[in-house]
Amino acid sequence: MSRMNDVGGMQGFGAIDPREDAKPFHEDWEAHVLALEVALTDKGIFNTDEFRDAIEQMAPADYLAASYYERWFVAIRTLAVRKGLLTQEELDAVLTG
Amino acid sequence: MQFSPGSRVRTSVVDPPHHTRLPQYARGKHGTVVEREGQWALADVNCAGRGDAPVEPVYAVRFAARDLWGSGEHAVVLDLWASYLEAAS
Amino acid sequence: MSGDHDHSSDDVHHDTVLSRQVRAFETLLADRGVVSSVEIDSLLEVIERATPANGSHIAARAWLDGSFAERLLADANTAITELGLTMGEGPDVRRLRVVANTPQVHNVLVCTLCSCYPVSLLGPSPTWYKSEAYRSRIVREPVQVLAEFGLTLPAGTEIVVWDSSALTRYMVLPQRPPDSDDATEQELASLVTRNGLIGTAAL
Repeated sequence: MSRMNDVGGMQGFGAIDPREDAKPFHEDWEAHVLALEVALTDKGIFNTDEFRDAIEQMAPADYLAASYYERWFVAIRTLAVRKGLLTQEELDAVLTG
Repeated sequence: MQFSPGSRVRTSVVDPPHHTRLPQYARGKHGTVVEREGQWALADVNCAGRGDAPVEPVYAVRFAARDLWGSGEHAVVLDLWASYLEAAS
Repeated sequence: MSGDHDHSSDDVHHDTVLSRQVRAFETLLADRGVVSSVEIDSLLEVIERATPANGSHIAARAWLDGSFAERLLADANTAITELGLTMGEGPDVRRLRVVANTPQVHNVLVCTLCSCYPVSLLGPSPTWYKSEAYRSRIVREPVQVLAEFGLTLPAGTEIVVWDSSALTRYMVLPQRPPDSDDATEQELASLVTRNGLIGTAAL
């Protein structure tokens, strides 16, 4: 069954905002999320297809509400728990801090 | 299954329950092979992370917008694993 | 949504929360010996070196040197190493494919399924490129989308939309601008924009 990411040809997303970005990342944490994804795939913790799959399994409303790198962070932390790098409790502590 | 440039193919009509890289807009459509892009682990299996995904050729396949949506003058090219394709006349 | 630029005060708060969460997550992974902060810093430096200027450089060289252009269109991964650039190595290395605009054919790029882009060469993709609005519409109505970017092509131009659904990463080679015969490579490179390398601008 198709997931929320499969949007080719779908309508209703509104106008495209063609404005050029002021800088490559809106916030520093986004660059850190990219670096984490590269590091974890390079180390074989998970592969790119597992990573995309994890993003695609977000509930559609959550997927659409999240910014691009926020989706990446959701996938990274989901996979980190699944692969045993940390427990769900430890992740919850990180998130509520 | 190998496809040569210029050959006609039809994409799978299967709507899978898992991750795939065949978009729904291109399911069950006729296209023409542009060229072989390379060979890589099939995403649909590789997403399970077992390291046992078959390595398959990936083909750039060109579709006329008319064949995808019934209108439009442009073409869309997708990179598709061999599993997504079958020969068509 | 992924295409948003504007930040309300709620967004600012949200970014502060995310910043704290990402930092805490990184610290935990470092404490576990999974990824060190040195490794993250090193990756951040590599990320910073990837910019659209790399693409402009490639385009300018291709305009000036026809045999480089041939090599680029035949095997871009190898050709770009002549300029000190690389897509990396290994079994999962992305194929770089350069598609050339001509007076008859205009190319434009997308990844409808997520937002694949040659990040390691050009840096992050534009915010609009990642948006559902762009990803959904460019494959369906490219003429209208390009017009919204201020690009209207001559009548009869064929538009080819490349949807990077596997491990090939695309870059457009724009047409060399007219009246540029006396331009240096540097001057030519300065004319090429990130949008030109994606196909939402002529240059």
